[in-house]
Amino acid sequence: MSWALDAYVVGAAATPDSRYFVCSLGDGTVCVLDLTDAAAGFKTYDIHKGGSLCFAPDIEAGAHLTGGDDGKLIKVALDGATEIVADLGRKWIEHVTTHPETGFRAYASGKEAFVLGKKKGDDPRIIKLETSVGGLAINPKGKRLAISQYNNVNLYWLAAKEGLPQALPWKGSHLHVTWSPDGDYVVTTMQENALHGWRLSDGQHFRMEGYAAKIRSLSFAKRGQYLATGGADTVICWPFTGGGPMGKAPSEFGGILNGPPVTAVLAHPKLDAIAAGFEDGKVIVGQPGSTRVMPIVTPAKDQEPSAVSVLAWTPDGDRLLAGTEAGDVHVVDFRSLS
Amino acid sequence: MTEQIPVTVLTGYLGAGKTTLLNRVLSENHGKKFAVIVNEFGEIGIDSDLVVGADEEVFEMNNGCICCTVRGDLIRIIGGLLKRKGKFDAILVETTGLADPAPVAQTFFADEDMKRRTKLDSVLTVVDAKHVLQRLEDSPEAADQIAFADVLLLNKVDAVTPDELAAVERKLRAINPFAKIHRTERCAISLDKILDQGSFDLNRIVALKPEFLGDNHHHGHDHGHDHHNHDHHHDHGEMKHYHDENMDSVSLSTAKPLDPGKFNTWINDVLMSKGPTILRAKGILNLADADARYVFQAVHMMSEGAFAGPWPAKDKRNSRLVFIGRELDAEALKLGFASCQMA
Repeated sequence: MSWALDAYVVGAAATPDSRYFVCSLGDGTVCVLDLTDAAAGFKTYDIHKGGSLCFAPDIEAGAHLTGGDDGKLIKVALDGATEIVADLGRKWIEHVTTHPETGFRAYASGKEAFVLGKKKGDDPRIIKLETSVGGLAINPKGKRLAISQYNNVNLYWLAAKEGLPQALPWKGSHLHVTWSPDGDYVVTTMQENALHGWRLSDGQHFRMEGYAAKIRSLSFAKRGQYLATGGADTVICWPFTGGGPMGKAPSEFGGILNGPPVTAVLAHPKLDAIAAGFEDGKVIVGQPGSTRVMPIVTPAKDQEPSAVSVLAWTPDGDRLLAGTEAGDVHVVDFRSLS
Repeated sequence: MTEQIPVTVLTGYLGAGKTTLLNRVLSENHGKKFAVIVNEFGEIGIDSDLVVGADEEVFEMNNGCICCTVRGDLIRIIGGLLKRKGKFDAILVETTGLADPAPVAQTFFADEDMKRRTKLDSVLTVVDAKHVLQRLEDSPEAADQIAFADVLLLNKVDAVTPDELAAVERKLRAINPFAKIHRTERCAISLDKILDQGSFDLNRIVALKPEFLGDNHHHGHDHGHDHHNHDHHHDHGEMKHYHDENMDSVSLSTAKPLDPGKFNTWINDVLMSKGPTILRAKGILNLADADARYVFQAVHMMSEGAFAGPWPAKDKRNSRLVFIGRELDAEALKLGFASCQMA
């Protein structure tokens, strides 16, 4: 099923019970789809005065956090009820990430990052940085926060109130950051169409290049055996088994030679499969090394192409949501495909 | 094709009148809605969610090009603004008085997302007629901002005598031979003269001809009165060179067609070896065996060129090339350019 929400789809997530999809949009709204009554469509709630810039599930199951260019981090319940979690005035809240199991929430604006613990009413820990935050990621165990910025990634202990971070230096502007499922690798996307990674257990680091476009998305396979990335005309998957990707070639799937680049990737929550969206709005599901690719969304020929900006799986893996920069949202139920 | 939002970069020394102009853009009814990126909210009279503060973070690109710097904060902020489709028609970026305009301009060529979703329209520099000559003496940024401009707003003209104004204008024209100059008081100017200029649009560079080097008959008298000026040229010459302690400009022209291969090799070599000292370069070229005009521009080492339509029937097919930068070797450029000409 498809809907036209008419604004840039910034973020999307499913609730832990796989019943709802929730999206935040560039027009400042949050939209909720009840999958038990998908025919009724999305319910839209006006949340930000400007637009949403970042989105994540809240630590409270069913609620979500959206950060906006009105300086507010707002918790939104499924019925549209809101609670202001932070208000930074004229500053933009550009990044948010959470770890529901441990109750940590982190968000960032410009050169400041903030960490909130589970306890209500506590002031956030404020982390002041030399350069603006490119991305935030909490490790799978929920103990450490990676902050990417210009010339390095810093790792902070979430439970600590202060203390110096462990610095992972590498020259250049680091944007998105992610952890491998075992927590041993930290990987960033860079301004220059490249990835940089570090293995924490022995401090080795590595660079992966050769991309034709900016890498706007990356996702580790569920068991961490490979890292899928956008930025090329096929889905590039770097092996992370047997000592990491150093000196190895990636495998790939999908796409057309010299065709539109991959703009979004997301690993299936259970199976060894990757969903990938392209700059022309196409969405596929496939596996590295396999030539069998399942087309999920094929944009109509007469439609203005719009890049896939977000992907979200339900935790049970039955449904996939794909959203585009133009505001088109597609939801596919895989049980009805087989 | 994704719609590209035009971006105007506003530079100028502290006190020149940038804030006055910004307030006019924000408050006047000109039918366009602007998102404005400022370095300080301070004196902006308008409280709007389309006015955003920037951090002026200059990043080096890891592409082996030492002069390739971009504004990381602009990439982030404009990326965020672009998610609000339909809320604004154009973007105005204000820089601080001390800023080098190059990283701002390069951001729109070096970053893929910026290139796809936006187009740099022009660099607009506000100059204070009363103080600019002093600023040129004491701060190198002032010369950079003038040299970089597509449009110069010569402001506070009521504060100087006609002779002083003429001297200032000669100096500006000498530093920057291709900018349009508008005289204003309190930045009072019709906004259509400063916005939507298409200065970086290769197809429209052709239309900039009157200011662009072009008309030697009219501008000839602008030169030669300045004791720094090494002007060798009047209507028939091939090179015009301006040099002082702040800035060089070298204007080359020839009626002979250029050998495309030789020109390409030469210009790439010039940009690779001298890119850090070249602020801007523009050219309209008559390549041998081509019916269309070849238009070329560069910001430091970054360049682009394309054929931009046929030569107008009445025009002479003269190739013209202008470099603005520091410590340019005019003789070497002249010889290099001559070596590209067909026998």
